[in-house]
Amino acid sequence: MDNSRVTPKRPLPVPPPESLPFWQAAHQRRLTFPRCDACGKSWFPPANLCPHCLSDGFHWEEACGRGKVFSFVVVHRVYHGYFANKVPYTVAVVELDEGPRILSNIVGVDPQKVHCNMAVQVAFDEAGPDMTLPLFAPVEAVRKS
Amino acid sequence: MATDPSIRFRNKCAIVGVGHSRLGRVPGASALDLQLEAIKNAIVDSGVKASEIDGLLCRGPQDVYCNHQLVGARLGVNARFSTGVDSGGASQTLSVAFAVMAIEAGMAETVVVGFGGDSWSATHASEEARLANDTHAGKRPKEFGIEFGFTGAVAAHALGAQRHMDLYGTTRDHFAEIALVCRENALRNPDAQMKKPLTRENYHAANMIAAPFGVFDCSLRSDGAGAVIITSTERARDLRQRPVMIKGFGSHNNTRGWFADDNMVHTAAGPSGAAAYRMAGLGPRDIDIAQIYDCFTYMVLTEIEDYGFCKKGEGGAFVASGALRRDGALPCNTAGGLLSEAHVDGMLHICEAARQLRGVYPPDRQVKDAEIALVSGHGGNQVCHATLILGNA
Ligand SMILES: [Zn+2]
Repeated sequence: MDNSRVTPKRPLPVPPPESLPFWQAAHQRRLTFPRCDACGKSWFPPANLCPHCLSDGFHWEEACGRGKVFSFVVVHRVYHGYFANKVPYTVAVVELDEGPRILSNIVGVDPQKVHCNMAVQVAFDEAGPDMTLPLFAPVEAVRKS
Repeated sequence: MATDPSIRFRNKCAIVGVGHSRLGRVPGASALDLQLEAIKNAIVDSGVKASEIDGLLCRGPQDVYCNHQLVGARLGVNARFSTGVDSGGASQTLSVAFAVMAIEAGMAETVVVGFGGDSWSATHASEEARLANDTHAGKRPKEFGIEFGFTGAVAAHALGAQRHMDLYGTTRDHFAEIALVCRENALRNPDAQMKKPLTRENYHAANMIAAPFGVFDCSLRSDGAGAVIITSTERARDLRQRPVMIKGFGSHNNTRGWFADDNMVHTAAGPSGAAAYRMAGLGPRDIDIAQIYDCFTYMVLTEIEDYGFCKKGEGGAFVASGALRRDGALPCNTAGGLLSEAHVDGMLHICEAARQLRGVYPPDRQVKDAEIALVSGHGGNQVCHATLILGNA
């Protein structure tokens, strides 16, 4: 029997060119975001123009990895076979301490206990030979592990 | 004080024909078939000749190229003005605004605004079709979605609902009230997709999809279409139906994104509504009935706050008071809405508002003394919004 049919692999992102540096850094377990060289503001998701001043000069800044839950949902329906034995799981918009908001999963905690403003910290998860996903876990859970 | 330039459009045009197609599960009918069915019904209703139509603002499913041109071919007309709007569920209300602008600019005299979709058939033809639709499979780059198990509109809107609950103490029981109002209204509408009563117990017992949303917080997948005919008020006076005046319209788009600022709870309905009120010279207290874009229960709750029917954060208490019921302060989604009539991208909200304002429904469907209606459209990755204010005089 073909095992891949039993447990489909985790679907992976297909990044546009402007996001490749983000995913390459994530694979090295670094959480990064673009910051404008001209006005000093940041943005997310990645784009090659600063949405604050339209400058095209920017650098990738490494985030401290901490943030808080801006909002979240607990997914119960299986939309992709990979998640069949993962439901219910938590998807959240995390606001990083540096400001950017990023979509991810909250792991290491009962979905019922997640709340807005919960303090979280990045927890990298290797999803394939070329892909590591930045997930988030409650700050306490990261300290214990 | 300078006069608001938008006032020049107040009461200049009217809806003179209304039609819809078969709704719900219509296997074997294409989205275009259904759209022509609705347009033909609207034309017959209006009494205009098809050959008099010189404007088309007609939209189809997302993957249909230049739907409006296909409509023109089937109607057998060359149109002076013809295009489609690309703002998701806000497209239909915005199309009515564009129709008025085109007529006032002399670019057209008689415009069809229509939408036809086949989202039930498209997602039930096969399991593959359902999956492809749910996961937005395609060749374009995609990230910050499926890899985290985040797919489609349900979870995106649920993020807003959760944040509203955390900020203001809104509860799922408030969302339930919205689902119940729509279902009760659908039961009076013989063409509605949903035929069975819904109780508060049913609502709470239903499976969760993406909490805080369960099954009954989510709108339907529907085949179906709707259309209206719009012309100048002057010309409308000579036609068969009582004209439904287009008193105001507005739009706003939180194009910085759903995750940006606090757009999940302060939606584009706020500034869109303010623009429409200004054009119409009216305010929330003047609105007799509302057809609010209800892709999810929460959207109704936050939109009625943004439109000023109650304060931000008080939507829960407002709906709990029974305000949205047929005998309440603001009868809402009186044909059943996207939640229980059919999800035809809001086109049927426009049709229902116009029919209520004509005042000729049988007594069980007619809202008494409905003179002014507000119609909302919302879509485009949750950030596009357009508003209509219609009146019977
Ligand atoms: Zn800048």
